[in-house]
Amino acid sequence: MSHRESIERLVYESGSTLDALDFKGYLELCEDGYEYSIEAYSPEIRKDMVWLHHDKAGMDTLFKNLPKHNSDHSTLMRHLTVYKVDVDEASGEANVISGLQVFRTELDGGTTELFAIAKQHDTIKLNDGYPKLSKRTIRLETRNLGIGHHVPF
Amino acid sequence: MARTGSQWATPPNLPESHYVDARIYTDEALFREEQAKIFNRVWVIACHESEIPNAFDYRTFRHPGGENLIITRGEDLKVRAFYNICPHRGNTILYDPSGNAKRMTCIFHAWSFDTKGDCVEIPRGEEGYQDRFSKEDASLREVKCDVGFGGFIWVNVDDGANSLEEYVGDALGLLHDSLQPEMEVFHYHKAVVNTNFKLWHDTNSEFYHDYMHYFNRITGMMQPGYFDRKYTGYKNGHASVGSMEVKYDAYQGSDSRGVGWPGLAPGGWLLIDLFPGMTYNLRTSVLRVDTVMPLGPNKAIIEFRGLGLKSDTPAERAERIRDHNAIWGPFGRNLHEDLLGVHGQGLAMRDNRTDARYILHGREENSTIHDEIGMRHFYEEWSRRMNRLASDPDRAPDAVAA
Repeated sequence: MSHRESIERLVYESGSTLDALDFKGYLELCEDGYEYSIEAYSPEIRKDMVWLHHDKAGMDTLFKNLPKHNSDHSTLMRHLTVYKVDVDEASGEANVISGLQVFRTELDGGTTELFAIAKQHDTIKLNDGYPKLSKRTIRLETRNLGIGHHVPF
Repeated sequence: MARTGSQWATPPNLPESHYVDARIYTDEALFREEQAKIFNRVWVIACHESEIPNAFDYRTFRHPGGENLIITRGEDLKVRAFYNICPHRGNTILYDPSGNAKRMTCIFHAWSFDTKGDCVEIPRGEEGYQDRFSKEDASLREVKCDVGFGGFIWVNVDDGANSLEEYVGDALGLLHDSLQPEMEVFHYHKAVVNTNFKLWHDTNSEFYHDYMHYFNRITGMMQPGYFDRKYTGYKNGHASVGSMEVKYDAYQGSDSRGVGWPGLAPGGWLLIDLFPGMTYNLRTSVLRVDTVMPLGPNKAIIEFRGLGLKSDTPAERAERIRDHNAIWGPFGRNLHEDLLGVHGQGLAMRDNRTDARYILHGREENSTIHDEIGMRHFYEEWSRRMNRLASDPDRAPDAVAA
């Protein structure tokens, strides 16, 4: 399997595990030093903002705390398109940019709406054909998320 | 035993000040009246001074009374506010939410205005208007504007309004020391929610809903001192809630807190609600300020700002951002729950055919944390300004005295 193929498979798998709320499966795709963040630029205050930032342990805690909270139970579906893959054989890493669309579907009646669009920037450790995520930054274009959500994108 | 339709429609056996008629959350005519009698008469926060730090910086603002405004800092560094309307053909002058413009020029016919609101250019003015109309007749409509209470920029579209100081009065006294350092907005987002603006302010005005928040239950409600927190009501419908020591480490994944905030005890939490839809909320290392902009009886924009100190080191700012995001960010534990709550109220109270009839504000616990006196205080002011009882908006408050 080519680097590109294995990387695309990883990116799509990371989206589908989160869609399925398979948080254990998602974290298994991540290196121990994994870092995750959601960022956005605000034209109102003319500043870059960080809306969520966790390491792997922090993501694990976030996921484990979810059942203790009251949350919107609409389902999320992530549509990912890998735009660009830059492989650096020397460092054994790849930088990947994907387009991300998140759709939210209401439980009652199944109405689907586009919830958010973003660019997803991944740093991926190649690991001799067994790639894993070492860093993910979601750069949101959408900033009005209505009532928000407890599950990261 | 469950109630029948007529029992459900019977007012609760509580004083009229202890419940409201759900029509105040759903009625279109009442909403328009609120815009005229409340929002167009009071001081509201438009933005923060750190959002327009330099000469000629501007912010646009959708005023909750319905007017679109420009907030701009002049060459003299004074902040002024104007209607964002070209006096020629009524076009919006500034489209972007922020920017820097020495001259504000309407794209339609290039009429141009300076930061004092004076018209400085009418292309081919003399050819078209001769001596019948000139730049002097075409200045912008200025509205009252003041900066205060933590560097916020306030506006009031009522030319005859009293001062901002008089309007806020003593309400922000608990935060006096905490609002002295120069601050900076590091987080801004807005949420459009299908709910009435007052329901959001109600949520900020009562803590009984801590049952909704696992985070607040475990770090607050289950800790000593929680039930000692007291409400204080102030003139003009404002109210504050006293502090306690929040045990943040009781929530798994909640970091230890070292940065804090000037004037706030470690683990402290102060919250002040300002009529009709602004809240200062200071806890951990962050000041959060909410402002509401109603779009209709069942739709509102809520603006959320997170502020740190201008003197922050990068490490301090990073900790404030972490603290903010843990509970208050768009993916935070508490904000989503609060928004889910008012979203649910919006679903239940959609229009005048709403099945909800009376909303209870009746808890009395010596003004302590689960007392609903904060909401009652708000609706006392609402009734005064609207000249309608919140519990029966067809009647005037005077009718009760009579």
